[in-house]
Amino acid sequence: MGGGSASMETGTINLAGVAVDLTDQIHQLPSCIKYDGPAPVSSYFKPKSTGIEVDGLNVKEACFRGRKLQGTTFPLPDGYSGFVIGKKKASGKRKASSNGDAEMTTSWQMNAKFQNITLWNHDNRPSKEDAFLRAFHWLDVAKALHKPVTSEEMESKPNLGATATD
Amino acid sequence: MESEAQIPEWASTPCMMGIDEAGRGPVLGPMVYGCLYCPVSYKETLSTLEFADSKTLKEEKREELFESLKTDKTIGWAVDVIDPKELSAKMLQKNKINLNEISHESAMGLVKRVLDMGYLLTEVYVDTVGDPEKYTVKLSARFPSVKFVVAKKADSLYPVVSGASIVAKVTRDRALRNWVFDETAENMHREFGSGYPGDPATKDWLEHHKHPVFGFPSLVRFSWGTCNSYLKDGVEVLWEADKEDEDESSSKSGKRQMKLSNLGFTGMKRKSEDIESSGKGRCKFFESRKLERVSGF
Repeated sequence: MGGGSASMETGTINLAGVAVDLTDQIHQLPSCIKYDGPAPVSSYFKPKSTGIEVDGLNVKEACFRGRKLQGTTFPLPDGYSGFVIGKKKASGKRKASSNGDAEMTTSWQMNAKFQNITLWNHDNRPSKEDAFLRAFHWLDVAKALHKPVTSEEMESKPNLGATATD
Repeated sequence: MESEAQIPEWASTPCMMGIDEAGRGPVLGPMVYGCLYCPVSYKETLSTLEFADSKTLKEEKREELFESLKTDKTIGWAVDVIDPKELSAKMLQKNKINLNEISHESAMGLVKRVLDMGYLLTEVYVDTVGDPEKYTVKLSARFPSVKFVVAKKADSLYPVVSGASIVAKVTRDRALRNWVFDETAENMHREFGSGYPGDPATKDWLEHHKHPVFGFPSLVRFSWGTCNSYLKDGVEVLWEADKEDEDESSSKSGKRQMKLSNLGFTGMKRKSEDIESSGKGRCKFFESRKLERVSGF
């Protein structure tokens, strides 16, 4: 919820506990399926390896609703994991915060965990140029932006502005 | 699949060939193009072999004729089996290919295959559903050395095409009979009927095998309009590939073939936001990676 004045929503995610491992079972489809719920995915969705390689990605093939899909399974970057989280009910407490605004606390529970995603394209082969794969570039950019500079780094790389006056 | 790899002596004499299809209309199973070829000098004998349009023959008779033509050293044959998965995929891909184009490519593939094997094809008789003249022009342009005779109902006019129709029909029937499902859902069976949308057995089969999320097993041609009525209570699935031609067709008085995304859900908003995030309005880095801010779940 945007930084309005009326209410604030905060949340906590509880990553403790034993989670189901969904590695190799997470598929990103190039369609919008207007359904949320269980489905017999492994009975109907049968990815096959094609033996083709594009940009170092192994191309798989599958079909869904008559469409031919081409995809690839890629591992999440080191240090990252994927999580399936669900809202924990009834723990949202309403309490008046100091400035009188209502504050909502939602807590989330990790239900499952995964280390890779299979990305599917309709007709096109997957490639490094796919927006979905490129989105992961943000992780490196964010790291460069937010990583604190250590004192060693400060010393080893002299301040250019300061040296110019010397 | 085709007859023996070793080519006979007669291959270098002028040869004729018939081409026919089986399983164009059915909503399920493969479409099969079959051809039969022999020396032009064998024409007379061919007409004594009781080949007739495969549809007018009983199944056992077709099987029998197929087995006998396979042993005939003066006859060659070949088939192209087009998987229903391939039919659905081509007809539903971003640049949709219609059934006529698929059929033409298949028939031309057979001509090429037999020519490449070293047979001197001079006359090719082709059955067609579409316009014979345009098709003749297309075939002649691709294979200038061959004389093409394209006709509707060629399977009942020319014995060499009747023979091809037997090859095609028997191959399709066997493919269906021995069909192995990719899917491993429970309670699937193979009482397909003829596969024609009006066949009560086919109707029962479709009704029994529909699934709200997955639609049907991949034996079914999802691009057939018939599928619509079975899946109208199913889950709606939207595809990027359908958006453009929907915009296009709405200006063309809405005349278009079925779209799976449209399964009885007319009037629903269809926006790109439904399909993926856009990153619109953010700087180029985010936009090209379709990264948008999410502030609430």
